[in-house]
Amino acid sequence: MIWLELGIMQRALIACVLTGFLTGLMGVFVVRMRLTAIGYSMSHGAFAGASLGVAISANPLVTAMLFASTTALFIGPIADKARLHADTITSIIFPLNMALAFIFLTLTPEIGLTSQVANVLWGSIISLTNTDMVYLVTLCAATMAIVHFAWKELFAIMFNRKQAEADGINAKPFIYLVIFLAGVVVTFSLKLVGGLLIYALLFNPAASALQLLEDMRKIIILSPLIGVTTNIVGLIVSLFLDLPVGSCIVLVSTVTFAILVLLSPKKRRKMENETLEVNH
Amino acid sequence: MISSKIAIKLEGVSTVYEGERRPAIRDINLTVEKNELVYVLGPNASGKTTLLETINGLLPIFHGKISVFGLDITTQGRRARCEIGYVPQDFMVEPGEPYTAFDVVMMGRYSKIGVLNKPDKRDHEQVAETMKLLEIENLARRPMGKLSGGQQQKVMIARALAKEPKILLFDEPFSNLDPESRENIPLLINTFHKEKEMTTLIVTHDLQGMLENCGRVVVINNGRVMVNDTPDKALEQWRSLS
Repeated sequence: MIWLELGIMQRALIACVLTGFLTGLMGVFVVRMRLTAIGYSMSHGAFAGASLGVAISANPLVTAMLFASTTALFIGPIADKARLHADTITSIIFPLNMALAFIFLTLTPEIGLTSQVANVLWGSIISLTNTDMVYLVTLCAATMAIVHFAWKELFAIMFNRKQAEADGINAKPFIYLVIFLAGVVVTFSLKLVGGLLIYALLFNPAASALQLLEDMRKIIILSPLIGVTTNIVGLIVSLFLDLPVGSCIVLVSTVTFAILVLLSPKKRRKMENETLEVNH
Repeated sequence: MISSKIAIKLEGVSTVYEGERRPAIRDINLTVEKNELVYVLGPNASGKTTLLETINGLLPIFHGKISVFGLDITTQGRRARCEIGYVPQDFMVEPGEPYTAFDVVMMGRYSKIGVLNKPDKRDHEQVAETMKLLEIENLARRPMGKLSGGQQQKVMIARALAKEPKILLFDEPFSNLDPESRENIPLLINTFHKEKEMTTLIVTHDLQGMLENCGRVVVINNGRVMVNDTPDKALEQWRSLS
């Protein structure tokens, strides 16, 4: 394991563990609350932000993070104001961010799709710094604390928002919180897999865990574990095959999901029940 | 807040669904006193469910005013809902949903427990006791989606009762129940109503399971209150209307 002695690889491995954990954890809420478009919107928001950074000669990653976080912050309130589902608003913001990205790139034709912008799109483990590790650890701690304290409200909202509200739970702030946290997690995971692939990290572990278990308390633990494992395996595969890290992580994650769909005990039990019903 | 003798008061209330021009309920005036048990009858699509969801503050009021124990539902809806147990109509959970029956009943207590707090021993005891009363304690660890329609309905009734609310709103609570439960559950609601002094509103489209101590019957048709009287007189008027 000579490669582990390299600082760049150590950071890549730590980033795999932390982002796998974060996206796996937030993915459960995103999937269960049907906020699936958020991944697309955040990643393209980051792309627009990076393009703006290049256009105004600022750090593209900082502007990418600002753009994606701001997008995440406003989706919930806009959806409520427009009386539409948050997924509809994210689907509207998604092409808007793309349009802005192309305008910013057109403003700086001499730079265009530079490596700085491309890093945000495709990810770049070379650009991971020790400061990024500190950010990710802080974000992990903050996210775990928030999920711990808001768990019962999030749990009830994931089951049924209307019924939670009927019971006196103020659902809006919790949904805004999930959208915002998911946006921040996506933004801080961009360097690992890039904006075009990040949503796979958000959905695949949660969707995989849902294939295996029928208890939300176990799913919320298993999903981050799947996220961490597929990230590490993806990183190792990329090193051995000399392929892009982000792509390998997404491939491993998708294959894992496909295998779990085929082997799903939930599906098996359902088929067994149906067979029993037919026999009776 | 609970000292008021009037539990629910609707003054000229109209509710319009988004995108529709015609009110689903219109100009409703209704007062329900504390510890009263009221049946709301009416044909399908007459506005019964809309009435309950409007009282609960789940639907915005187009016109008029609703107060629950003196709290304005428009401005203090969340506070009022903490005192309301609501059982929705035809609530069905898909197979594979990762929630046990115990989880769902416990959710009823969340607003009592308060934000950032965790359920304690008393909450667990209350949930277990309510599930035992409804004879569903053996379903506690089973996934909600694996239960039959009647069992799910009992879980939702347990969720509302475990909350220990001051007001119970039931929307067709007996529709999915098996014949035995159709006899037992009304008796149980009756006991809760009497012993725990819960103001109770039961919406139904038929008269099966009518409770003995029902004080009043309200008949709704086309979104308007047509009859509001004692059970005998109300039923007589309803029959003559239909």
